[in-house]
Amino acid sequence: MTEKAQEALTAYVFLLPYLFTLVIFFVYGFMRTFYFSFTEYNLFEAPSWVGLRNYAAIMTEPRFLTALRNSITFSVVVTTAQTVLSLALALALNQRLRGITFFRAAYYTPSVMSSVVITLMFMWLFQRTGAMNYLLTQVLVFRELIMAFLLGTAVLQGALVWWERRHGFAAAWWEPSLLVTAMMLSAAATVVLRTTGVVAADLEVNPVATPWLNTRRYFPDWRFPSAPIPLEALMILNTWTTAPTFMLLYLAGLQDIPRDLYEAAWVDGASAWQQFRHITLPQLRHVTFLVVTLGLIGTLQMFDQVAVIGDQAPLDSIITLAYYVYHNVFPGGAIPRIGQAAAAAVTLAVLTLAVVLVQRRVVER
Amino acid sequence: MAAGLVVLVASVPALASTVVRVSGWGGTDIAIVEELIERFVRPAVKPYDIEVKYEPIAEEFSGYLFNSLSAGTAPDLFYVDIFWAEPLMRTGQLEPLDPYLAKSNVLRKDDILPKLLAGFTYNGKIYGIPKDFNTLAVFYNKDLFDEAGVAYPDANDTWDTFAEKLRKVSRPEDGIYGIALPPEYARFGAFAYSAGFKLFDDNGKSDLSQPGFVEAFKWYTGLVKSGVAIQPADIGQGWGGGAFATEKVATAIEGAWILGFLRDQAPNLRYGATLIPKNPRTGQRGNFIYTVSWSVNAASKVKAEAFKVLEALTSPEAQQWVLRRGLALPSRKSLLNDPYFKQDTPEAKANLVVFQGASDGNVHPFQFGRYGGDWMTPVNEALTAVMSGEMNVDQALAQAQRQLNELASR
Repeated sequence: MTEKAQEALTAYVFLLPYLFTLVIFFVYGFMRTFYFSFTEYNLFEAPSWVGLRNYAAIMTEPRFLTALRNSITFSVVVTTAQTVLSLALALALNQRLRGITFFRAAYYTPSVMSSVVITLMFMWLFQRTGAMNYLLTQVLVFRELIMAFLLGTAVLQGALVWWERRHGFAAAWWEPSLLVTAMMLSAAATVVLRTTGVVAADLEVNPVATPWLNTRRYFPDWRFPSAPIPLEALMILNTWTTAPTFMLLYLAGLQDIPRDLYEAAWVDGASAWQQFRHITLPQLRHVTFLVVTLGLIGTLQMFDQVAVIGDQAPLDSIITLAYYVYHNVFPGGAIPRIGQAAAAAVTLAVLTLAVVLVQRRVVER
Repeated sequence: MAAGLVVLVASVPALASTVVRVSGWGGTDIAIVEELIERFVRPAVKPYDIEVKYEPIAEEFSGYLFNSLSAGTAPDLFYVDIFWAEPLMRTGQLEPLDPYLAKSNVLRKDDILPKLLAGFTYNGKIYGIPKDFNTLAVFYNKDLFDEAGVAYPDANDTWDTFAEKLRKVSRPEDGIYGIALPPEYARFGAFAYSAGFKLFDDNGKSDLSQPGFVEAFKWYTGLVKSGVAIQPADIGQGWGGGAFATEKVATAIEGAWILGFLRDQAPNLRYGATLIPKNPRTGQRGNFIYTVSWSVNAASKVKAEAFKVLEALTSPEAQQWVLRRGLALPSRKSLLNDPYFKQDTPEAKANLVVFQGASDGNVHPFQFGRYGGDWMTPVNEALTAVMSGEMNVDQALAQAQRQLNELASR
């Protein structure tokens, strides 16, 4: 045996455990699914061949089309949002600041928490009597005071900056030390205004009772590319939980960019934006490809958050392709529709593959 | 030497006995079934050398069962909920029990309440013995009614008098509502049946424009829109019983399953129970029957032994023990006259009301033919849409009807 063949053999031996699970659970599983998608099968009686009928059936079924539309909207919005957010977080956390490790840990926390636990907490926040509506109600109740405070801060900040500049100091409009002074003075003024009764809390306000989950409304109120409000709530949730993982990838990518590129650009007089546009982004291209690919696959197959929200939101306003598959395998109280579920699963797989190939063209052009 | 003897003695029955695997769901049910098996089943099947192996399933019981039946690894004896009994009976997964019942001297067909048995009968064959059952009743908070000086709901109430009592007892400004009504057919359906709604016509189609359905739909959603009722989710609760326990609602429509919950969560709540109000036009009540059977796996290798275990699990003594612990209502007719029902405790009285609910008016099993739970989804969504003010009654019902037609054409 040549040395090369021996090396290859060693590699395969180490790969064996993984190849074994890959073949059993993925290759075999996918082949079975592919076969079932051409049959009528209810788990109990032998599958009977029906050709393309399942595909024809799902393509005309409104619920499947809703799931398809929901999945695509969800995938596009969340992948874009989490990529931008994770890059922004990575850029922020790449600074040399005191206590940066704390912020890195804090921003990473959402992605290590169980997605089921997060979804449950999220459901409490978005109840009709939950924290979200409570906060909105408080804003309405104290709107005069809040306005007075904001207005006061703006006026005082303007006055302070003007006074500083008049005395020959180069104060910026957002000078933090002045801002703090302005806010403190404005808060004191608001308290005075409240005690004298010029502004008051409005206790007559009706509590905000927006249904965030139990609704089929779209926001904005058109069909495509808009999404139902509960699905949008899931988009926020999903972006928040997945961005930290991608932030880590970007952070690693940022640390790999040679410093001399920036130094050369600095010598040439490039602005911060020009450096970002012409050095950082191109250097991160491979990371971006990875982040977008993983993001697309993850979002197209999102299942757990829909399953946990369950009856709290109408099925059609949260259903995704992955949940559609599950719902057809175990339709509560009815006979399993394995053929239809398999056809939907194959469609999902083809869609995922196609989207990833297309984005590869775009990112790696 | 002594140790060797113990091992020898202990291993002899294990070698000779037949193992019957028994499965049900998790939660509080596990402790109950374990005790039932220990107290009643093991002594009863010991002479036949049967060993009972209990395997409770914590989550997604029906998914587990469908999967394991398909794979041939399912237990020998298991729970079947009336809600998903039909597909299992239709596809021959359950063993017909008639031949076993014919030979049995512990369990006969006419021991069991016929309405319950009907849910597990398919093409004239019996596929399960109901272990117990539940129906819906009105539970009311005595303190809230006393404070408002309003008479308690009672069996003579019609929808109108009931709604009037709720209106008087509710004080939305203080966050007190008359009733918690979930946007679900599982509760609303009782009122639809009360007004004469028929789930399916002769062609197996559902028509939501039946006057009874529309009347009940308007009444039910109207209570929420007028502020007399509130959806449980709107006060942060998942179900009517949860809302009832917080004392923010004066009444809730639930079954006897609420009793154990109240015992744990609101032990000082003074409550009573009465029958669902009658529709003023038809003079009828409506109700659901929720029930669960013990059924034998058709592919089991120990069917005769599994039936022996089934007999012990549904024996009069076992059912009486369950009843007296206040856990569920017995499916045996002979227990109707059990002294338990004559006790002067809120639980015993509530159980009696739930028991009576099974035979008063238009009572239907909680079952939707070949559609299963999919039948309810459009109706639940219509209820939600109207209760939250997103659609009016006509729009919502038209949309639900369209969805049901799609379902039927599948």
